[in-house]
Amino acid sequence: MDTCFDVKNLNLYYGEKQALKNINIDLYKNKVTAFIGPSGCGKSTFLRCLNRMNDLIENCRIEGTILKDGVNIYEPKTDVVELRTKVGMVFQKPNPFPMSIYENIVYGPKCHGLKNKAELNQIVEKSLKQAALWDEVHDRLHESALGLSGGQQQRLCIARAIAMQPEVILMDEPTSALDPIATSKIEELIESLKKDYTIIIVTHSMQQASRVSDYTAFFLLGDMVEYDTTSIIFQNPKDKRTEDYITGRFG
Amino acid sequence: MINASKEKKNKIIDNIFKFFFLAMAILSSSFIVILVLFIFMKGISPFLPGYEFGQVDIISFLFGTTYRQDQGIYGVGFIVINTIISAFASLLLSFPISVLCALFIVKIAPKKIGEIMKSVVELLASVPSIVYGVFASGVIVIFVKWLASIFGVTTAGGSSLLAVIILLAIMIFPTITSMSITAIQAVDKDLEHASLALGATKTQTNFKVVLTSAKSGIFAGAILGIGRAFGEATAVSMVAGNKLFGPTFDLFDITRTLTSTMLAGLKETSGLDYDIRFSVGIVLLFVIFFSNWLLNLLKDRIGKNS
Repeated sequence: MDTCFDVKNLNLYYGEKQALKNINIDLYKNKVTAFIGPSGCGKSTFLRCLNRMNDLIENCRIEGTILKDGVNIYEPKTDVVELRTKVGMVFQKPNPFPMSIYENIVYGPKCHGLKNKAELNQIVEKSLKQAALWDEVHDRLHESALGLSGGQQQRLCIARAIAMQPEVILMDEPTSALDPIATSKIEELIESLKKDYTIIIVTHSMQQASRVSDYTAFFLLGDMVEYDTTSIIFQNPKDKRTEDYITGRFG
Repeated sequence: MINASKEKKNKIIDNIFKFFFLAMAILSSSFIVILVLFIFMKGISPFLPGYEFGQVDIISFLFGTTYRQDQGIYGVGFIVINTIISAFASLLLSFPISVLCALFIVKIAPKKIGEIMKSVVELLASVPSIVYGVFASGVIVIFVKWLASIFGVTTAGGSSLLAVIILLAIMIFPTITSMSITAIQAVDKDLEHASLALGATKTQTNFKVVLTSAKSGIFAGAILGIGRAFGEATAVSMVAGNKLFGPTFDLFDITRTLTSTMLAGLKETSGLDYDIRFSVGIVLLFVIFFSNWLLNLLKDRIGKNS
């Protein structure tokens, strides 16, 4: 199976405090991988290593390597901007820009110099269709994105990420601010996006992880305790701590 | 029974305080009413028949292009135009500098430098206008004189429309900048991260997301700034030159604003020349209301997506 990210001996420190301890993991292409674990276990921090969003945090120091297509993304010569076009991200809280729906989608492509109107229109339609939002918004593309419901806003953010045609989409608890119906729509969407994209999702909900993911990694206090196919993690975990967590003994 | 009497007592206390607050609210709002009433009564009186110093024709007052108290000619039409020109020109000059400065302070400068610059801006906002005026008549005027000499123009010792514009631009800079700083700081970090995660550069993020998200607050700063530009009297009077006719479009020519007209020789005059200043004040109020309304309209139009 092709790997998308090959993480070796990754350590991350916030100042003196070590937040990730010697993480080694292969993340596979065109699969959905879920990171689970209690709050503060480092799962979101690790996710943000993959598109170098941790660079924005002061006092954050990273050791080790993350290979993407054989190249370490933490090499000094890595172009972070280019990396982020390949590795898109969807955040916990829906965060559309205060612009029209259309402008939200074309923001990324425009920042990369695409100006052709016909091409942009095509991107908007394609991205919104892939994000299962087209039917709901095609007649009001030029209205403010802030007028959409929370679930629609989150799908718009996914469409915005898709518009860049990334290889990977990172999702940081994408449904934690949404109601159950909006959540199930996003989960369906993740299922349909899997054939075109590698998806890595951080989630608080173990049910969600078991529903949407092919692989699951369990994090605890900065360690990656166990990583395997989702069915093994949930039915036959090897580590006692994993079992305790998924059976609800803590967390 | 004990409860009932306590309840009654509480009710009385509540009522007393209610009336107390009401009285305070009436008192403070009545200042505005009294102020406006006083200015309007004083200001309108010269145009009423039977005015003791000779009735003034309101049309020639509003649209006149000469203002000479020695000849008793009071026309403020050109002064209104001058005032609008100097205020908007100073806004045009100050706005981009202020916004980019605010962006630098909040987003680009290292934290320490940003904080120092921020307190400098706040300090500038609290400098009294007379100090700006002294600075203008000692420095800006000399700069304008030098600039004019390059173009082969002689000025009235540097007093000019350009000097007024530069002075006002400097004076409104801290207002617009500190409002912009607040607006930019209030932009949700999530939006910035979303932009960066889409592979936008820092500069693209700053211009396309941070500034557009903060535009409402930045615009409010511009409105406050132009309010200050319209209302500034002391410093402006020191470099305007108080031209007797106009309007002034030449940057190196002297000018006259509504405020400098109201202020000039206020203490050494009486009669019509005194009362007419209140009429000028009414005109100034209307100019300010009108331009605020216009800018607010623009603000709503620009900010309708946010």
